[in-house]
Amino acid sequence: MGGTTGIQGGPDGKTGSRFEGPCWTFGDNIPTDQLIKSRYVFDPMDVIVQHVLEDMDPEFPRQVEPGDVVVAGRHFGQSSGRAIAAKALQATRIGCVLAESFARTFYRNCFEIGLPAMEVEGITELARKGDRLAVDITTGTVTNTATGESRVGRPADPFLVEMLAAGGLIALAEQRPELFA
Amino acid sequence: MNLVEKILARASGRTSVEPGEIVIAGVDRLLMHDLSGYLTSEVYEKRVGRPIPDPERVVMVFDHHFSPPTERQADILQHNRAWARGHGITLMDCGSGNLHHAAVRGGHVRPGMIVVGSDSHTPVHGSLGALAVALGNDSHAGTVLPYGKAWFRVPETVRIELHGAPRPGTTPRDIALWLCAEIGEGALNYKALEFTGPYVKQASFWDRWLFPLLTVDLGAKCGFVEPDEVTEAFLRTLPGGAGPQGDPLLRGDGAQDAASVLRYDISEVPPQVACPPTVGNTKAVADAAGARVGWAELGGHGGGRLEDIRAAAEVLDGRRVHPDTRLNIVPSSREVFAEALREGLVASLHEAGATWFPPSTGSNQAINMGALSAGEAMICTHSRNFPGRNGSTEAGVYLASAATVAASAAAGEIAGAPAGSERRAA
Repeated sequence: MGGTTGIQGGPDGKTGSRFEGPCWTFGDNIPTDQLIKSRYVFDPMDVIVQHVLEDMDPEFPRQVEPGDVVVAGRHFGQSSGRAIAAKALQATRIGCVLAESFARTFYRNCFEIGLPAMEVEGITELARKGDRLAVDITTGTVTNTATGESRVGRPADPFLVEMLAAGGLIALAEQRPELFA
Repeated sequence: MNLVEKILARASGRTSVEPGEIVIAGVDRLLMHDLSGYLTSEVYEKRVGRPIPDPERVVMVFDHHFSPPTERQADILQHNRAWARGHGITLMDCGSGNLHHAAVRGGHVRPGMIVVGSDSHTPVHGSLGALAVALGNDSHAGTVLPYGKAWFRVPETVRIELHGAPRPGTTPRDIALWLCAEIGEGALNYKALEFTGPYVKQASFWDRWLFPLLTVDLGAKCGFVEPDEVTEAFLRTLPGGAGPQGDPLLRGDGAQDAASVLRYDISEVPPQVACPPTVGNTKAVADAAGARVGWAELGGHGGGRLEDIRAAAEVLDGRRVHPDTRLNIVPSSREVFAEALREGLVASLHEAGATWFPPSTGSNQAINMGALSAGEAMICTHSRNFPGRNGSTEAGVYLASAATVAASAAAGEIAGAPAGSERRAA
């Protein structure tokens, strides 16, 4: 499919493959344990979301706003395969998450729960905390709107784009059960 | 095609597959522990709720809570029991052992299978020649439980050849830690890793185990050792024996079926310790020696093997655990504890001052035991040492071989095993 319509995760119910908002920046090799500590994983999401990435940036869970963009370095989301780490990030209602690279289960989890994610080489040089980024995850383009500087990332495989458009893996399986039958 | 490609082609009903393609393949085993199983069941019951056609393919092992320390955690186990029994899922309750070890010991994993689980160390089952991959809870709830299938992107394969004979005292665990630093954490993102070469091929099954175990640290999708006579001999010791006759073990086509080859000579590698904050932050034990450790533990996905317990007994023969240090021993499975009993290792390590814990995942994530206070340090055979993994973010976790863990427990600080004490050390 690979179209530009219907992708969920945009701010305030706006859908699409384009996102624009201020960014939060994080470093390399951030494990899922630091996205959300294991002692919170059985809590309700309204509790979990108050602790997302709190050890890495205490302002983040308090001040993140719908449509913001999360930027990370290499191997973001390493460690546990539990989807709760991606769900915790999604619950902040960010627009999308960009990283130099992702741990593969975390990347998979993002699409399976309907959180847009993209690998963008050089993104940590392009984006300083608070900079406004314009992102088009279909073309892979990321622009820092203050400096005008751009990078081109690696857009997701069409199957993953279709999954995002459906609203995640479970929704895709409901809509197209013949894929898995 | 290599082993991974052949397994994916067979399981997706195709004659061949290419790296980069996405296929939907039949899954043979879904392995869950008490944490990932709970999260999966929540998603499944709330959002899917269809029948589970092949519940015998789903194995749930309670290993993080070997004895629930709080009422809330007891409630989680009761929920899991009711869910597993309600659907006919295979349940191995508290005390069975560590998820991955218990699944193998129970005969639930076979060469050529597709094995999935949410635990990030699920790729360890590549030790048996299975394609074993960590998937998230939504994969399991959405497609594995109701359809018996999952989607996979066919990975490129990197062949990692290990050559040379180890130095005296250097164990496979040391080589695995060293290799992680040498290759680099996250450096092989999305790849399949074939561990081979003379050093791997001569190793026993449980020593091979330590290589696919580090797949997740390298960022890879899966890691495997091609099944051979060592694998077949090990399979004969399991329930179900060597499996059905006439189902030859799948093997790759050979030299040209990997995208790239990395070759390492391991003959000069000294014993290693992975220092905080990550698995790839390794040093020679000699360079980390002297750091105070209040806790030592044999356990986790990487430890608690019979080989580890034998090594510790040998190092502690005639010595005692330091009065300022606690050594906890966590057998990886009930079978390992039974064998340790038969060999007299339980008594000798108890007399040396060690404490035995039930077969489980031990202090992993400090859910049941083993939380660290700020400033404390532990040396262990676990597979993770991230800050805050076991309690305070200001505590330190060091990862090392069983021989080094035992020697450090005796010294009260990080120390190498004395020469000659590690002859059988694994």
